[in-house]
Amino acid sequence: MRRPDAKVVLLGGASVGKTSLLRRYTERRFSDSVSTVGGAFYLKPWRALHLSLWDTAGREQFHGLGSMYCRGAAAVILTYDVMQPQSLVELEDRFLGLTDSASKDCLFIIAGNKVDLTEQGGEGDGHGPRGPRQVSREDAVALYKKILRYRMVDEKAAPAAEQMCFETSAKTGHNVDLLFETVFDMVVPMVLRQKAEEPVETVDITSQKPPKRTRSGCCT
Amino acid sequence: MVNIKAFTLVSAVERELLMGDKERVNIECVECCGRNLYVGTSDGFIYHFLLEEKALPTGTTTFTATKQLHRHLGFKKPVSELRAASALDRLLVLCDSCISLVGMHSLEPVPSGARIKGASTFALNENPVGGDPFCVEVCILSVKRRTIQVFLVYEDRVQIVKEVSTPEQPLAVAVDGHFLCLALSTQYIILNYSTGLSQDLFPYCSEEKRPIVKRIGRQEFLLAGPGGLGMFATVAGISQRAPVHWSENVIGAAVCFPYVLALDSEFITVHSMLDQQQKQTLPFKEGHILQDFEGRVIVATSKGVYILVPLPLEKQIQDLLASRRVEEALVLAKGARRNIPKEKFQVMYKRVLQQAGFIQFAQLQFLEAKELFRSGQLDVRELISLHPFLLPTSSSFTRCHPPLHEYADLNQLTQGDQEKMAKCKRFLMSYLNEVRSTEVANGYKEDIDTALLKLYAEADHDSLLDLLVTENFCLLTDSAAWLEKHRKYFALGLLYHYNNQDATAVQMWVNIVNGDVQDATRADLYEYVVDFLSTCADQQLVWAHADWVLQRSQEVGVQVFTKRPLDKQQKNSFNPDDVISCLQKYPTALVRYLEHLVVDRSEQKAEYHTHLAVLYLEEVLQQRAAPSHSDTTATETQTKLRRLLQKSDLYRVHFLMERIRGAGLPVERAILHGKLGEHEQALRVLVHELGDPAAAEDYCLWGSEGRGAACRQHLFHTLLTMYLQAGPAAPELAVAAVDLLNHHAGEFDAAQVLQLLPGSWSVQLLHPFLTGAMRGSIHAGRTAQVALGLARSENLLYTADKMKLKGRAIRLSDQKLCQLCQHPFTEPVFVRYPNGGLVHPHCAASRHQAPNSPSPGTRT
Repeated sequence: MRRPDAKVVLLGGASVGKTSLLRRYTERRFSDSVSTVGGAFYLKPWRALHLSLWDTAGREQFHGLGSMYCRGAAAVILTYDVMQPQSLVELEDRFLGLTDSASKDCLFIIAGNKVDLTEQGGEGDGHGPRGPRQVSREDAVALYKKILRYRMVDEKAAPAAEQMCFETSAKTGHNVDLLFETVFDMVVPMVLRQKAEEPVETVDITSQKPPKRTRSGCCT
Repeated sequence: MVNIKAFTLVSAVERELLMGDKERVNIECVECCGRNLYVGTSDGFIYHFLLEEKALPTGTTTFTATKQLHRHLGFKKPVSELRAASALDRLLVLCDSCISLVGMHSLEPVPSGARIKGASTFALNENPVGGDPFCVEVCILSVKRRTIQVFLVYEDRVQIVKEVSTPEQPLAVAVDGHFLCLALSTQYIILNYSTGLSQDLFPYCSEEKRPIVKRIGRQEFLLAGPGGLGMFATVAGISQRAPVHWSENVIGAAVCFPYVLALDSEFITVHSMLDQQQKQTLPFKEGHILQDFEGRVIVATSKGVYILVPLPLEKQIQDLLASRRVEEALVLAKGARRNIPKEKFQVMYKRVLQQAGFIQFAQLQFLEAKELFRSGQLDVRELISLHPFLLPTSSSFTRCHPPLHEYADLNQLTQGDQEKMAKCKRFLMSYLNEVRSTEVANGYKEDIDTALLKLYAEADHDSLLDLLVTENFCLLTDSAAWLEKHRKYFALGLLYHYNNQDATAVQMWVNIVNGDVQDATRADLYEYVVDFLSTCADQQLVWAHADWVLQRSQEVGVQVFTKRPLDKQQKNSFNPDDVISCLQKYPTALVRYLEHLVVDRSEQKAEYHTHLAVLYLEEVLQQRAAPSHSDTTATETQTKLRRLLQKSDLYRVHFLMERIRGAGLPVERAILHGKLGEHEQALRVLVHELGDPAAAEDYCLWGSEGRGAACRQHLFHTLLTMYLQAGPAAPELAVAAVDLLNHHAGEFDAAQVLQLLPGSWSVQLLHPFLTGAMRGSIHAGRTAQVALGLARSENLLYTADKMKLKGRAIRLSDQKLCQLCQHPFTEPVFVRYPNGGLVHPHCAASRHQAPNSPSPGTRT
């Protein structure tokens, strides 16, 4: 098995559709999936690289594993359910802390899934309950900016929020390819840069443990 | 989840061998090193057995253990752990928190009495950092709180090298290089004992369950995680494999690539590390030890020891394939790369890919099948041979043995379902078409192309013709029989043609056109045959079918002679005389052929021109004789005849004149007169017999074509004279004369004309002529004057130039200096620039080479 060049991790609360997104992208289909146990892993060849895609378990029981999955990640896709405002709140409260172990220039992407259930989601098949969307895109953009502050990244140095917030539907496939492929295309130059910088494959675990940051009061 | 059989459980040591009937004695620990099996018991005994492996012809393996020794350690405490260090010939025994060394074969304690005290558990470093082969690195968890110690253990002494404290009490440990993977009381960590740095992995709860820490390979560990997960973690603290899902109460885990085995109170479960799927479940009650020793997996209850014998990977793969689990088989096969030598692996893997391809094919998953066939480099004939009768009879192919699939043929595979069969055939068509031009086809292009031809013919596919008209390797006899069977006679002709049997090919097509055999492939087959013959190099063949094509249609048939491609060597062309004699029976064709010779090929032979003219003439005469003939308009043939008579200079004029005389064809006769140079006679015919002034005027223009203005003037004057001579008796000729003058004023010499004209004609009548003539005359006069003036001025300019050049003397003396080098002239030779500057010849020459030097012109 080839060693992956970079890691992309899907994080998010239970039943927001992480597995479905990944399955839609890798298998081009949508099926009712059972709750993920622990995590799952896909290897995706992209350009000259091999990227590993980690599907994590959203359930509280497996929360402790998240930090290990995120370790050294090149990109983290934070997933929420546009019909569940709580799922967006959780991203900040429960999952953001897990990304401390990610690579220091890790990309953050926010994906609002299940837009097919909103009344605006015109591509749906018309079945299933529909209702007004519960989470607006602006909320996701606001979260993205909070993340940048949390990571102490200058907003101007990071990719624009508009570019990093997606609204997807694993059911219809809406924006799914766009989401993953945008992420991959952004990850590739990062990996190539890192490869150029450190040609020797050594692991320095000292750099992996950043000092605990205290959150600034204004972000709560 | 369907099970596969990856392991079989066989007994190794029966309880009778161990403790006999001592009810309360239990097995505490097991160690296996090569053929040596050690068992530690709860009453302080160590047993040494020799394992003998026996492969049974049924494919299973049995083990028999022969007891070598047993020894009591001298304590009433259980033997909690045993580890062999074969390089030292020592067994490390943990009993009563103390690790002592005993001989591997004698089980006697080392004389030095070396021991490590205060250990709750320990682990050997299988990836030691020190280079010394005569010691082993041992890491112990101290019974003292929160301390880990690293020792080097030699044959008869121990040496502590490091002591590290941990934030919490460690409960289990595994070692790889400098890295310790530790289960603390609330979390797993990786600790680098040389730097002291640690890395959190993930939290768990030691109160709820016993931790498992297991080194599974270089820098990678397997840990018991929350929710019954088997988590993989590297020394860098990351996970490179997805977790496996165990039950909540796992007691022990072991690895036997590519499987992870786990033991709980009821079962042994087997998961694949390749796809994280559970592959096998073996019921096993009361197990409490599961460990792997250099690839051998041992499981033990408190009373007996068992071995889990892995089935050969190839057998497992075949089992998976047999149950149509293609994905899993491929993953397993790919994973086996590291366990099998490279050459053997490649052969095995290719075969698995091919087998998988046939499984997908049988399920009509053609896209997947194609990809598998391609990557497995399948001999396409395996696939072709599934379809009955497709392989040529001459093919030497025999199916691979053992067979890649279980199907005799497509009939069996589809169980006679015609729709499925058609789908399979369509797939085969597209697949063969794709591979036939790739290197896959090398060596058996004949088999592939013949099979493709048969498929196309059977399916009535358009590509059949494309296949036959492009480069192909279809075998003639096989293909011919097949095409005949499927009534593809046109295609059969193409096949013969491709195999250089044009005669057979044409005969086949002729038979279709004649209706002797039925094939509606081409509605225009007759034209096709004509076209074919017209490009056919074989003259014999053309002659053979010439009568046939001409009988069907003279107009089209003659194309076999007229439409032949031009070639310089004339190899391909027929002798025209032969053709003409052949065409005697076919007048229309003959005319076409002569036209071809005279007009298209510009043959210069008088015979053809005359012949053609005569044929035209005969036709014209025939038409005239016909009752339906209307006199006024010239027929098409007549136009052709006139054109020929006018354009050609090669026919025999006198001969034709004979034929035409008295036939009432004045225009043609006039042309013939013209050809003989008898212009006056020609004009007379046109004016007096035909009475057509327009024709006469045209004649003047045609007759003087390319012969200059003088000739033309002469013809026009002749015509005018003819008109005027008739006098007042023929007033219509006078009108013609006036029209002639007025329309062609420029063609006449006005002075001559004026003398000829009758005095009675008014100026008004001739106004256009006179104006035109006057204009012309004045224009000519003026043009001449302008030319004269220009010539004079040119002459003047030359005279002026000459004067200028002659005008001045050049004085050269000792005092004169060269304008370039400023030295005096010593010889009479000099160069003078147009501006008058004088320089040495050599200075002038060098100045041309160095254009940057100052020009003499700017100096003066």
